[in-house]
Amino acid sequence: MTRTRAMSTDEAARPKTSRMWLGIKDFLSRWTFMTPAALLLLATLAYPILYTIQISFSELDLGSFTPSGFVGWDNYLTVLEDDRFWNALRVTGIYLVLALPLQMALGFGIAYLINAEWRWRGVVRALFIIPMVVAPVVAGGVWRMLLDPLWGVVNYLLGLIGAGPVDWLGDPVLAMVTLVLVDTWRWTPFVTLIATAALLALPQDVFEAAEIDGANWWIKFKSIAIPLLMPVIAATFIVRWLGAVKMFDIALATTNGGPGHATSVINLFIYEEAFRSLKFAESSAMAVIVLILTMALTAIFLRGAKKLEDMY
Amino acid sequence: MTAASSTAVRRGKFPTGHYLRIAGGVIACAFFLFPVFWMVLTSFKMPRDIFTTPPTLFFTPTIETYTSYIWHADVPRRMLNTVIVACGAGLLSIVAGSMAGYALARVKLRGAATIGALILLSRGVPPIALAVPMFLVARRLGIADQHITLILAYCTFLIPYVMWLMRSFFKSLPPELEESAMLDGCTRFGAFVRIIVPISMPGLLSTLIFSIILAWEELLFALVLTNRFATTIPVAIAGIAGDSVNGANWGALTAVGTLTVIPVVIFALLVQKWLIKGLADGATKG
Repeated sequence: MTRTRAMSTDEAARPKTSRMWLGIKDFLSRWTFMTPAALLLLATLAYPILYTIQISFSELDLGSFTPSGFVGWDNYLTVLEDDRFWNALRVTGIYLVLALPLQMALGFGIAYLINAEWRWRGVVRALFIIPMVVAPVVAGGVWRMLLDPLWGVVNYLLGLIGAGPVDWLGDPVLAMVTLVLVDTWRWTPFVTLIATAALLALPQDVFEAAEIDGANWWIKFKSIAIPLLMPVIAATFIVRWLGAVKMFDIALATTNGGPGHATSVINLFIYEEAFRSLKFAESSAMAVIVLILTMALTAIFLRGAKKLEDMY
Repeated sequence: MTAASSTAVRRGKFPTGHYLRIAGGVIACAFFLFPVFWMVLTSFKMPRDIFTTPPTLFFTPTIETYTSYIWHADVPRRMLNTVIVACGAGLLSIVAGSMAGYALARVKLRGAATIGALILLSRGVPPIALAVPMFLVARRLGIADQHITLILAYCTFLIPYVMWLMRSFFKSLPPELEESAMLDGCTRFGAFVRIIVPISMPGLLSTLIFSIILAWEELLFALVLTNRFATTIPVAIAGIAGDSVNGANWGALTAVGTLTVIPVVIFALLVQKWLIKGLADGATKG
């Protein structure tokens, strides 16, 4: 504001160049809106990324906590030769491939169920907000309690039907199942809430017309519902993907990467390497690799989503 | 009432499928609420009621876990830290983010499309790629373990989030609103503050609340950037949940967990209508 006012004084003082000043004033008034966000993001987002890249090519002096000495690709080579890094990438991949489709399918499925018209529909939908706002670290801790082999209520219930007790967190495969389960519990309601709104917005007359023409439920689902919902499905997938690649807190609280490294998702692994083992340079190299991978995949998914939207 | 069900009503019958749907919805809801229910229940149990087989539903409730654990783990101060950081980050992001979102939606900027794409991409930046340099810089500047550090760190994901949501919100408003105000002599900024902000209150408020919730439950930056003074509640919970020395202190976990969840749930239920709309719009409107 002050800047704009200063401009107008200048403008009055130099009427000849007023056109130029108007141009500058216009430019400033356009960019004033961007300035706070741009400055904040430059300082807190762009600068740290550049700094990470710098550290990834340096040695880090643990005395002064500053990068010193250019070491070329050394850190990257160390990381790429580390089996645990590849394991972390593989674990993250498995988690994403299992959790994302499961959450999307469950989310839209449950949305269909809870959209059935009855007196308590609004209440049921509101209740679905609750798991969505339970802090992930709380969710992880509480599920750990529920799944406890000795005192956990889940194993007790399994015992009632003659199964279990299952050592959910002790077995590498089951630990991954647990991780996906907890993450699905935490995030499916998010998909459900978006999906309920999308389902309510579907034009019903199309379905009725199809019914009159003798279409069965499968045809209606496949040829009407899916194409109409495609933009929402694609967009929800992107949002979920952006959240899931950052998977950290649920893994930390539920399995803490274990047993062994069976559920050590990449963010947790880098965190451990950086702040437990103090290998800042190597972990920066890993972070840069992950950053590039994530950006590339996000760009591909965004393109795919755009294409899907254009197709339907 | 949806068109489909009103057809059913008009026909005067509900098919069996309808009741199955309702039953399925209720069962799903029960499954999703059970862990929260069990957490709250456990927080009112004495240790002997927590560690029993079979797990008990009926017991003499006690608030002993709350009274004994809260002071022991410094919960009030950590709660205050969380409130300061979450509200600070939420407010800073809503101001900066909504202004930028408005610029992207309405002001003709060269490269607006590029900026939009960059913001969306930036939402995919893994926080761990920022945590190491932030930790190092905060140490060197002597601002480690302070509220402001955490607030700035949270801006990295909240500002892009707010920009994205508010951009689509502002796009849905008729442009005549601020055009007429500007014709009457308002600057663009004046029109934004006097016209756009008041009518966007529902959108701004729900975005703010969701931002606060996101900051409220953040763990990674809080772990890295604080150690004693500015520690937040999620860090405390991670400490309790991962305490392998003393074993699982389920009483403490559920009590602190309940305290963390309750304010957020109340907030979220208060604004549920806007929240759902905000979620849906944020996901669908590009």
